[in-house]
Amino acid sequence: MKKSKTMKGLKSGAMYFIAIFMAVVTFFPLVVTLLSSFKTNEEILLGMFSWPKVWNFSNYPEAIRIASAFRAIGNSLLVAIATLIVTVIIAMPAAYVIARKSYKYLKGCYFLFMAGVMVPVHCTLVSVTKISSALGTKNSYVFMILIYTAFNLSQAIFLFTGYIQGLDKGLDEAAKIDGCGDLRILVQILMPICKPILATEAILVFIYGYSELIFSLILITDNAKYTISRAMLNFTSNFTTDYGPQFAFVIMSMIPMMIIYLLLHEKVEAGMLAGAVKG
Amino acid sequence: MGCSACPLFLLGGIFVFFKSAKYRKSFLKSLLFVLPGVLITLIFVIYPVLNTAWLSLNSWNGIGGAPVTWVGLQNYVKTLTSAKFWNSMLNAFYFMIGGFVVLMPIAFGMALLVTSKMKGTKFFKAAYLMPVMLGTTAVGLMWTFLLNSNFGVLAQFLKAIGHGEWIINWLATPTVNIWCVVLVNEWMYAGYNMLIFAAGIVAIPDDVHDAALLDGCTGIKKIIYITVPLCKNMFMVFSTLCITGCLKAFDIVWAMTNGGPMDSSATPAVLLYTQGFQYKLMGRSGSISIILLVLGLVLSILLNQIIFKEKD
Repeated sequence: MKKSKTMKGLKSGAMYFIAIFMAVVTFFPLVVTLLSSFKTNEEILLGMFSWPKVWNFSNYPEAIRIASAFRAIGNSLLVAIATLIVTVIIAMPAAYVIARKSYKYLKGCYFLFMAGVMVPVHCTLVSVTKISSALGTKNSYVFMILIYTAFNLSQAIFLFTGYIQGLDKGLDEAAKIDGCGDLRILVQILMPICKPILATEAILVFIYGYSELIFSLILITDNAKYTISRAMLNFTSNFTTDYGPQFAFVIMSMIPMMIIYLLLHEKVEAGMLAGAVKG
Repeated sequence: MGCSACPLFLLGGIFVFFKSAKYRKSFLKSLLFVLPGVLITLIFVIYPVLNTAWLSLNSWNGIGGAPVTWVGLQNYVKTLTSAKFWNSMLNAFYFMIGGFVVLMPIAFGMALLVTSKMKGTKFFKAAYLMPVMLGTTAVGLMWTFLLNSNFGVLAQFLKAIGHGEWIINWLATPTVNIWCVVLVNEWMYAGYNMLIFAAGIVAIPDDVHDAALLDGCTGIKKIIYITVPLCKNMFMVFSTLCITGCLKAFDIVWAMTNGGPMDSSATPAVLLYTQGFQYKLMGRSGSISIILLVLGLVLSILLNQIIFKEKD
């Protein structure tokens, strides 16, 4: 009996150790970057891994000045939220109809979206550039948001369709008896129940729209319209050794994401678990 | 292409016309619900792919009014015989190795920890997921700083333990640099894949756990003989995502090495970008795109076949 108790203790001790070790490895780069954002350049050059001797807060205003940090963050937020809204507005009705109705053309639509998932973004880079020049929409957020939406639609429709298919049809039928049309069923009854999957998709789309790089690289050339990832690269291509502000910028860019994640992550896990148990 | 579909639309239209007004109304309403999605996908996804395929058979330098000259399969030949292309495929392959040898065990281990009866699993789950929240460019830049050979943390550490001579410019040395990127990629996506495996582990019914306990199968034995086999589906999902993701890797490579030096650390997606937008060889870039697309499709279908075979 004694032996198994110490074995158990050792085992769970080992588990905790591994878990904490992995958490440290995960947080370590972030912590170092955070600390470095408060150092002056000379301090950083001496070595990154040390507590700042003097807490220098000037890197943050510098970052704001050099890369228009607030503007870049604002741009990214705008693009991410807009993409999210457009994606949900278009994907939800489509998913509802594919999941609940049985018209033949819907199967074809589903296959279309499936093909959409398989297409790697890069296959379309050149064509999108061409279309963009032809339409004269270089530097247009509207165009970029449509592109982002297009590439997120397939995944969104997949997730939503799967989820709605798992919901009890009795809800729809009860609503129909009460005289609800399709739109009302969707908006007033299904949407609230779909909160977990909406939250999951929200986080995925938001991460994508916020930190997307390649399309904004080729579509946006106007400095003032740079989104975060693009603006971050601004620092590295310079030959200045202004590392402090770079770190500050990286930290600043993470804050909106963290907030949204903290707000939504419980719903996300519920959504992912729900999707998995059914599938 | 549209003309061959015309008779179909005509038939469909006639069919709908002869049904009741109620059917028509409901039919059209559903159509309306799905139309925006279909249109956007057709215009911004399907059409560009077809356009890229056509472009890959031509030579163009990407500037609006420049001539587009037909070159047939020349771009494909040039690509498939180019050392840079095969090097990029090798880099993608390194990504895949990293994915299966490093990422999979770590993510699965995290999943086991996070679904166990330990205290603090909520905190650990949130902590492990954090890197994905940061965005690939931020992560890439962060690690570039950490790996800096002058003031980076790794360099400092090596100096401190007296092995300063092991310090090299990791991100500028071919092969070393791509492996650095691969490892950072695993660091970033461990938490994300942990969720996938955790979903599979949680789906194992409790009776299985009880039966295992009765049979004295616990700890590592249980993991090897029960948990892993029952999560087969999730391993399949992971494999598909990993393989297709490795072909597409761009952001993190770009942020850390720019594909350099001289495209040596480029993955196919990065090469596609540099060929098209830096060297202005749009046709070549298109040919890489199509090769990637076909490869991705073939691999996805192959993996799916394996899944179906397993199910039988």
